[in-house]
Amino acid sequence: MTATDQKPQIEFIDVDKHYGSFHALKAINLAIPKGQFVALVGPSGCGKSTLLRTLAGLEKITSGTLNIAGERVNDIPPRKRDLAMVFQSYALYPHMNVRDNLTYALRLKGVSKAERARKADEVAAVIGLDNLLDRKPRELSGGQRQRVAMGRAIIREPKAFLFDEPLSNLDASLRVRMRKEIRALHDRIGSTSVYVTHDQIEAMTMADHVVVMQAGVIEQQGAPLTLYEKPVNRFVAGFIGSPAMNFVPATVDDTGQTIRLDLKGQPTIAIARRFPPGTHVVAGLRPEHVDIGDPDAAGYAPIKISAVEATGSATYLFSDDDPELIIVAAGGHSARAGDTVGFKIAPDRVHLFDPKTGITLGD
Amino acid sequence: MGRLARSLRDGIGFDTLLVFFTLAYLLAFAGLPLLYNIVLSFQSVDMFALGSLFHEVTGLENYRAVFEDPLARTVLWNTILFTLGSVLFQFTLGFALALFFNQAFPGSTWFRGLFLAGWVMPGLVVGVLWNWLLSGDFGVINWLLLNTGIIDDPIFWRSDTDYSLLAVMLANIWYGVPFNMILLSVGLAAIPEDLYEAAELDGATAVQRFFTITLPMMRSTIGAVIALGIIFTLQQFDLFAAITSGGPAGSSMVAQYWSWELSFRQFDFGRGAVIAVMMIVVVLGVAAIYVRSTRQETRL
Ligand SMILES: Nc1ncnc2c1ncn2[C@@H]1O[C@H](COP(=O)(O)OP(=O)(O)O)[C@@H](O)[C@H]1O
Ligand SMILES: [Mg+2]
Repeated sequence: MTATDQKPQIEFIDVDKHYGSFHALKAINLAIPKGQFVALVGPSGCGKSTLLRTLAGLEKITSGTLNIAGERVNDIPPRKRDLAMVFQSYALYPHMNVRDNLTYALRLKGVSKAERARKADEVAAVIGLDNLLDRKPRELSGGQRQRVAMGRAIIREPKAFLFDEPLSNLDASLRVRMRKEIRALHDRIGSTSVYVTHDQIEAMTMADHVVVMQAGVIEQQGAPLTLYEKPVNRFVAGFIGSPAMNFVPATVDDTGQTIRLDLKGQPTIAIARRFPPGTHVVAGLRPEHVDIGDPDAAGYAPIKISAVEATGSATYLFSDDDPELIIVAAGGHSARAGDTVGFKIAPDRVHLFDPKTGITLGD
Repeated sequence: MGRLARSLRDGIGFDTLLVFFTLAYLLAFAGLPLLYNIVLSFQSVDMFALGSLFHEVTGLENYRAVFEDPLARTVLWNTILFTLGSVLFQFTLGFALALFFNQAFPGSTWFRGLFLAGWVMPGLVVGVLWNWLLSGDFGVINWLLLNTGIIDDPIFWRSDTDYSLLAVMLANIWYGVPFNMILLSVGLAAIPEDLYEAAELDGATAVQRFFTITLPMMRSTIGAVIALGIIFTLQQFDLFAAITSGGPAGSSMVAQYWSWELSFRQFDFGRGAVIAVMMIVVVLGVAAIYVRSTRQETRL
């Protein structure tokens, strides 16, 4: 490996973006190695698109440094950055047929007509648009338009692919299929991809590296399972995972090794580490980590069920409490609304957060 | 409630009624006069015969007279020159301004609005304004041209046969630019911003984006604006009346003004009608282009 290969393909160093007085991106540091699939995820309005658009050059950064392939691009216009973007709206050229849409960039580069036609056929075969090359975008379905937008990006062989919520206009089943197709395409081409989504499941299933953002700040970044298992704060813990983690105020008992949950009946659960007695914490319990059993059995704390939803593959139990607890049991479950069941959670699966700052305690 | 009344309120009856009134209106105030105009063009009508509905039919006599008129060639040439020149410059200036104001700089919408002030002025007022601007002795335009050294002697725009048509054309271009600008602005605003962004990422320069995105996306708007521009220019009467009255010596005479002059100055309504008929044919052709281009919307 040469020295340039070890440099990140994309690198944000202390990047800030202001829209007038609005601070849209705050001290962004992000390094993306060549070939990686990175997902930017966060609630709507957190600055994901802004980050992607600064990378594309469609927005200028206010301060900091942005490098692409080792080159500082702060002042390089989009057309010289050699990036391809798939827009949420697809942004297909309405007056051009699919072939011309696909080969627009090649035409600008002065590639010969024969070569363009060959490339268009090749890409059309890859993305499954063989018979549609002569159609106008308005004659295509949503899914087909999405594919054209993808094809227009891969025909370029760019330094990186940028995706801004590319699947959000598709129906659920197509979305799941395209998720896999996009990832497979990424692996086959060996490209670098930055993928913006508000859907954490999309991010978790597609990406090598997930970046969780909130209000212009990167809260945490890492491998999908790292974010799930070791969230650094309450926001990430609540954002990653579905259904979302339960948060319950609690107090450390006299032994320092159990906590009393601030729920009806003050149930006590064991924790993996020792804390000073009397410490106020927020306990984070993932719905899928809670075991349901006999309320009288040893180690089980009683809890009253207010509602039950069965999807077949899983059963969702809702507690009659404030805050309400959600518990997911795999497969079916016999509990009914009004029943009292026992619940248990392994000590090393209990997350603890500082009630004021939301930062994860321990570790 | 009766079935008819219900249908009138929320059924197809109401639609039919609206269409009927529109058609009746068009027929009474546009269709019939148009037909009567065609009839007039084949008849001999002078001031004394004007009172009666039917006149002596003279066949193609009026047409022959118009074509053999020594002024006919000048009028034809002037009309073509005036129309094409006006439309060409109204369009290019309007498009340039529309592109400029589309940049959305501070105050751009406000400035664009100001341009409309020129458009809402009555043609006669515009004509009077331009009479001042073009005045040979103390006009601003001569002053500018003299001071920049472009000309050495003042041009007597309105009374010089070489310049009289140009004088009206200048005024008409100024008068038509805001209309072109506004319609083209609307067309520009309808092009989604993300198309430009996609093109930019695909490597297009600003000039390439203009020719590969803006122009093709504006095709129908441009067709409509040019068609309307031709029609409005062929209707332009006030400026001629205010600035040159078609003179001197017919040097700025165009078809629409000649038609009026024949009918209402020389009281030869037959020959006036002949010119009107020929203009109708031209306008119908242009209108067909207009309808076609508004139908061919290339939007997603
Ligand atoms: N051109 C702009 N001018 C001012 N504020 C903007 C602009 N674009 C985005 N914003 C603001 O920046 C924040 C982040 O927007 P965005 O990056 O689009 O969020 P998302 O994470 O949903 O993609 C939002 O609060 C938005 O209102
Ligand atoms: Mg967004």
